[in-house]
Amino acid sequence: MAKGFVLDPTTARADDITSPGPDAGPLAGKVVGIRVDQMWRAWDWISEIWADEFKKAGAADVKFWRSCGRSGEEGERMAAGLTAFLAEIDIAIVGLANCGSCTGWTVHDALQAAAAGKPTVAIATANFEEFAKTIAKRGGRSSLRVHVLPYPLNERFREEVDPVAYGHFPKLLVTMGAEIAARKPAAA
Amino acid sequence: MSIVTIAPSHAKVKAPPKQPVSRDCGPDGCEIDWLVSTRHEAELDVVGFTQFAMEQGWGDGLPLVPPTDARVRGFLAASNRYPDEVIAYLPPMRAECTVEKIAINAVMAGAPPESLPLLIAAVAAVAEPDFELYGMNATTASVAPAMFVNGPIRNTLGIPYKHGCFGGAASSASAIGRALRLIMRNVAGQVVGVTSQSTFGSPARISGLCVAEWEERSPWAPLAERRGVKGNAVTTFGGMGTMNILDTTSQTPTEFLEMIGRSAAYVGTNGFSPAVPFCEVFVAINPICAEIVGKGMPNIEDVQEVIWKNASLPKDWFTAKHLEQLEDQERVRTDGRVYLTPEPKDVVVMVCGGTGGLHAAVVHSFGTSITQTVAIV
Repeated sequence: MAKGFVLDPTTARADDITSPGPDAGPLAGKVVGIRVDQMWRAWDWISEIWADEFKKAGAADVKFWRSCGRSGEEGERMAAGLTAFLAEIDIAIVGLANCGSCTGWTVHDALQAAAAGKPTVAIATANFEEFAKTIAKRGGRSSLRVHVLPYPLNERFREEVDPVAYGHFPKLLVTMGAEIAARKPAAA
Repeated sequence: MSIVTIAPSHAKVKAPPKQPVSRDCGPDGCEIDWLVSTRHEAELDVVGFTQFAMEQGWGDGLPLVPPTDARVRGFLAASNRYPDEVIAYLPPMRAECTVEKIAINAVMAGAPPESLPLLIAAVAAVAEPDFELYGMNATTASVAPAMFVNGPIRNTLGIPYKHGCFGGAASSASAIGRALRLIMRNVAGQVVGVTSQSTFGSPARISGLCVAEWEERSPWAPLAERRGVKGNAVTTFGGMGTMNILDTTSQTPTEFLEMIGRSAAYVGTNGFSPAVPFCEVFVAINPICAEIVGKGMPNIEDVQEVIWKNASLPKDWFTAKHLEQLEDQERVRTDGRVYLTPEPKDVVVMVCGGTGGLHAAVVHSFGTSITQTVAIV
């Protein structure tokens, strides 16, 4: 068979930020931002519990931002809303990567938060962990912090999801690089 | 949340900056090496090259034409386009899609050189942020961008608009559609199981869906013209696959359109999902039906209105948990119904198909992808 040369049909992105970004550090006095969406009720339940836990851990406040349509005028409102949201928080928790497009947009928004210098963690379910990491790498930040929740998740009932939220909170803090100030022992 | 209407964003994508390369010598005028892609040594027969390309991750499983320098130069020369021109940045890779990369993938797909302007326009269309290619290329859905072609270029390229136009007609459309799919794979970086999570996929993810309008048999202005672009144009639509509607009974315009609208409305389509804030729907009307409908409804807006009204479901058709979410989102209207699209204008109508009539075709939308129409120049 004759051999010759062919042209490569692919493109590659060479730039990559290999740093996971800053640790969240001490939570005391900080504003934690949680990005939710309109798809996953289980993620709403978990983020409500985590919000309470962040406050107990010393966070000054927890703010929520809900991602909806990302095209047209609706998309413009979303883009402006995300920018405003990032401006008023110190730490970003971005979820939920639990399907194809929602993983794409979760990572997209997490990359934007990380690019803004915020300590950032993307939340993915186990089935979409590798996908989230791949998308992050192709988005130019291969070391984006990703915290992984069990899968399937949204199909579970609330009484099954709540323990997941409580059980994962300490692990989330580790992923975030967060510190909780030692609580003073109760007076004898 | 309430009904979210579909309105284009205000900012269009700005043309990427041109490369600082001299234009003194055109792509077909001299032997300057305009092509910057890496060269790989490979077998140059189709079987050997296809095997090589599959090993490289470039292929879709069908035979591929080796993109040699000569073939790619010939492809570019037919349209006299500069290969270093950046047309778009395609997600999820966000790497630049140049005319050169479009040409290489089109050669591999077996597309004719004359299709380059159409492919360039299609790439520009799908790259518009309103098309939401970012979500589309990643999704679990089976969506693929469809190309609907208007203008004289339909006949130049032989894009089918008569019998079997959605698939089966022997034409260049399959290769052109496939070229766009290879661009998604090799330039955008959409790879099944890696960056694409599509649960089932679709045949359109191999060959694309490239169809023209039978403008001469349409009682209404061509689709692209109604969308603001006269002459040669491509309209891209995030399509979930084709759905056939058989109607051997209707006689009047309203009856035909009512049948189409009611058929398009099924609870599991993306447009009714609480996860999708809005969507459009594409309807292909055959020329026989179009003639009957056009006599009673010379205004396309009336056609869209009747389909839209009927492409809705009473709220009790939804399961309890779905309805709860839809009600929370205020998507159940005062008439107790949920509508597939926010407004009648969101029903995208085109005339095509064989003269046997009887059938209509519906292509449901992925959702937040907003249809784009771009001139082919």
